[in-house]
Amino acid sequence: MLVVNYKTTARAVEWEGKQQDASQETCLCNKYRALGKKSVEIMTLRIRFAFLLVMLCQLISAQSDSIKLKEVVVSDANLKKYSNSQSVLKLNDSIINKNEALLTDLLNFNSTIYFKEYGRGMLSTVSFRGTTSSQTAVIWNGININSQMNGSTDFNTISGSDYNSISVKAGGGSVIYGSGAIGGTVHLNNDLAFYNRFENNLKLDYGSFNTIGINYKTNISNEKWSAQIGFSKNSSTNDYKYLDRYTWRGEQRWNQNGQYDIITMSANAGYKIDSKNTLKLYSQFSNTDRNTSLVVETETKSKYVNGFNRSLLEYDGDFGKFKTNFKTAYIFENYQYFPDNSSNIYTYGKTESLITKVDLGYTLFKSTQINGILDYNRTKGYGSSFGDHVREISSAGILVKQDFSEAWKNELGVRKEFTDNYKSPVLFSLGSSYQFSKLYNLKLNVSRNFRIPTYNDLYWEEGGNPDLKPESSYQAEIGNVFTFKNISLTQTFYYIKIKDLLQWVPGKNGIWSPTNKDNVNSYGAETLLSWKKQFGKNNLSANASYAYTASKDEATKKQLFFVPYNKVTASVAYSRNRISAYYQFLYNGFVYTRADNNPDEIINDYNISNVGIDYDFKFLDSFKLGFQVLNIFNKNYESLEDRPMPGRNFNMYLTLKF
Amino acid sequence: MKLSKLLLMAFSVSLFVSCSSDDDNDQIEYKNGFLILNEGSAGQGSVSFSSNDFNVFEKDAYTAANGSDLLGKYAQNIFFDGDRAYIIAGGSNVINVVNKYTFKLIAKIDTGLANPRYGVVKDGKAYVTNANTYFSASNPNGNTDDYVAVINLATNTYESKINLNATANRLVEKNGKLYITEPYNSDKLLVVNIATKALEAPVAIGSSADGIEENNGTLYILRGPYEDRSEIVKVKLADNSISRITFPESLDGAAFLDVYENKIYYTVGNSVYSIATTATEASTTAIVTPSLGYLYGFAVNNNRIYLADSGDFKADSKAYIYSLTGSLQKELTVGVGPNGFYFND
Repeated sequence: MLVVNYKTTARAVEWEGKQQDASQETCLCNKYRALGKKSVEIMTLRIRFAFLLVMLCQLISAQSDSIKLKEVVVSDANLKKYSNSQSVLKLNDSIINKNEALLTDLLNFNSTIYFKEYGRGMLSTVSFRGTTSSQTAVIWNGININSQMNGSTDFNTISGSDYNSISVKAGGGSVIYGSGAIGGTVHLNNDLAFYNRFENNLKLDYGSFNTIGINYKTNISNEKWSAQIGFSKNSSTNDYKYLDRYTWRGEQRWNQNGQYDIITMSANAGYKIDSKNTLKLYSQFSNTDRNTSLVVETETKSKYVNGFNRSLLEYDGDFGKFKTNFKTAYIFENYQYFPDNSSNIYTYGKTESLITKVDLGYTLFKSTQINGILDYNRTKGYGSSFGDHVREISSAGILVKQDFSEAWKNELGVRKEFTDNYKSPVLFSLGSSYQFSKLYNLKLNVSRNFRIPTYNDLYWEEGGNPDLKPESSYQAEIGNVFTFKNISLTQTFYYIKIKDLLQWVPGKNGIWSPTNKDNVNSYGAETLLSWKKQFGKNNLSANASYAYTASKDEATKKQLFFVPYNKVTASVAYSRNRISAYYQFLYNGFVYTRADNNPDEIINDYNISNVGIDYDFKFLDSFKLGFQVLNIFNKNYESLEDRPMPGRNFNMYLTLKF
Repeated sequence: MKLSKLLLMAFSVSLFVSCSSDDDNDQIEYKNGFLILNEGSAGQGSVSFSSNDFNVFEKDAYTAANGSDLLGKYAQNIFFDGDRAYIIAGGSNVINVVNKYTFKLIAKIDTGLANPRYGVVKDGKAYVTNANTYFSASNPNGNTDDYVAVINLATNTYESKINLNATANRLVEKNGKLYITEPYNSDKLLVVNIATKALEAPVAIGSSADGIEENNGTLYILRGPYEDRSEIVKVKLADNSISRITFPESLDGAAFLDVYENKIYYTVGNSVYSIATTATEASTTAIVTPSLGYLYGFAVNNNRIYLADSGDFKADSKAYIYSLTGSLQKELTVGVGPNGFYFND
């Protein structure tokens, strides 16, 4: 039969969509198309880069000032520069290494972001500050990489070890990062260092359910060159038993068809042409081959393969008062969905995006800096369900940073997009940070942000609606940062008003179609606590976070489904000489699974704990052998209805530095 | 792995918690009433029960009787044989066999099915249409691989299949023959001889034929083609001859049909109309036009009209029960995506 969307016959297709659906919050019945093929149009890429190089040479030859070298060049300068008035949680190597490989675990145990996993290792989407999965933007070295097709990112397709640091910035960021930066942004950064070194990091994992991780990274650099090459492969047969669940025949139930295999390769390089000019090239390739875990044993086993290929060429010019940053990126994403594993029948979607961005910075006075940003984004998307469409978006923006004094810092940003596809609101961000004393820092920020309709929303056959508005939001937050000796406490209160939420609803003739439907008011509080202490050879540290989130539909006053009121994370780490041990805790409050907040239809709250210990044998620079027990109390929990998560399981790892 | 398994076993043994089942002592008897099948969406399908006098109501009869057992995704159809009800969950390739008065699970038919749709029973065997795979560029056979699964109801096992070389959806059985419609990719009424398990010559009825009912030797089939006139096609089973009632343009997009006590009831949008089975023209005077999102399930029985609102598939939806003259008798909150009514007398 034809893939239709009418009445009951539509269900199989919707099922395909739902199965992979990134955002149930918006009930994208036809949605979630991931990515995937390995072959990219490398030729076009090369031509583009050649062209760029010529342009860059011209730029370079025109410059002549001089400036001091920095040791580490951050990939996303604006993240540091324009986030004084918001809270940014930075997770570095040592934290990344203590967590399971995939990003879901890292962020679930270390941030206030709520995760919804379709079973372990399966599709994983987020809700940040009570927003939907496409209202959190994932930023790779300064470039927004949320899927053009479904608007969100699957956090189980990303391995944390591929990056030097991962930052979680709460709150609006559309002025700098564009679509989707409503709840917050997650930043995946590869920072290049310019000093003499040759370092290799290898981490090998072996755990329950044949979970194997190989993560390798090498850094080679001198004062002029810096290169970073990384490889990661994470796979699992993922055939864990469901605690206390049996089929009607009395057989133990287990996670069927949950296999996954994620491979990512990265190569990043930087070259300091001279003291003023730097060139950087970031590239990454990834392929996720994943089956879709069954809810009921008799379901047809399906799988989806998705991947991406991204390259980013960046030029930095630093001429004293005048700074330039020029970025051009090519991003390819695709998916193939196989409704039946055993056959070769599939549906697919692909998008290719070219992004160019010019950022010109000028220091007006000592205290005032201005950045003017122009960007152009051209995306071509094609697939079995949304035809072939090109969309072009240009934007112009201006950022101002003014430091009245060391203690009082202000930032202002305005941006407007231009496109034929939708009416774009004027985005802005206004923030201020005032350090009253060593002890107390007050931060204020208001912003307007948005999320643009995706390819699926606009062009899905049938049902796509070309007349959609972007979702838009106003947001205000107050942050209080207390720093006392070794303790840092950040408390943020926020209020977000989201308009025109995109919702897929059954329309005429039963064809599901997206419309700008609901308005949502989300408010809450986030608390981050960190503490560090050294007693002789003993190092102790503790981190904790608590988020209270009320996210209500404006009309019905009901809490959005899959937004927990409460989430708590905590961790304690101890190290002495060669040994280190740690404990992690996560509490997720209950969530409604229905829009009407039916109290019978909820996912129960749960708390899970992990412990780990490792010992450094110091054979090489470092030779750590570690052992982890995950879900140590063997809690029977679900992240999504009828999708149980594993009970107690184990992981062993070896981390080598040489 | 070995070590971890050992440890896991050790821990599991020490912390073993036995599976507990909820024994419901005051079990409702689901008699003298009707069932509402709820398709489900993100969650499982479900079945609601209401007694005819509306005094007894259970929103999720299957879970009430069977605890944590999963009914399956996209509940599509229920058919009956004796005191058993067979609930088809199309998204999970399974038919749940339950006692129709207690809803206790008896068995699951879970082989030989590929996207099962509708079923009928004849002489101890069930005949269930299966949509199988869907047509796409990479699957050119999607429109010719539908089949009828033959299921032995004594053993609740799949026995064989009848390939249709076409698409198949709703079906009725009469005089040892299956009559099958499919609204999206077929313009024929398929005829299958049960005894020979062979296709007989199909009847050209036109595209978009969905609802099908048999009454007094005649099939009544409703078709509502896109941007064309709706029709009721009558097929006389004696000679497969056809006659048509073509609707006026104002009734484009007719959706559901039910034949009850010599009247044909049909729906267009949210409106319900009726004509005599002998009529030659459509009625354009609605009996009732309830205000609901999208009409997703329809039946006429026991001197009542039953209507189901699709809802938004994100929350429980509603079923409405009207008298034959269009006065509202009851509004029930049922499960997600109610798509059909069945009668437990």
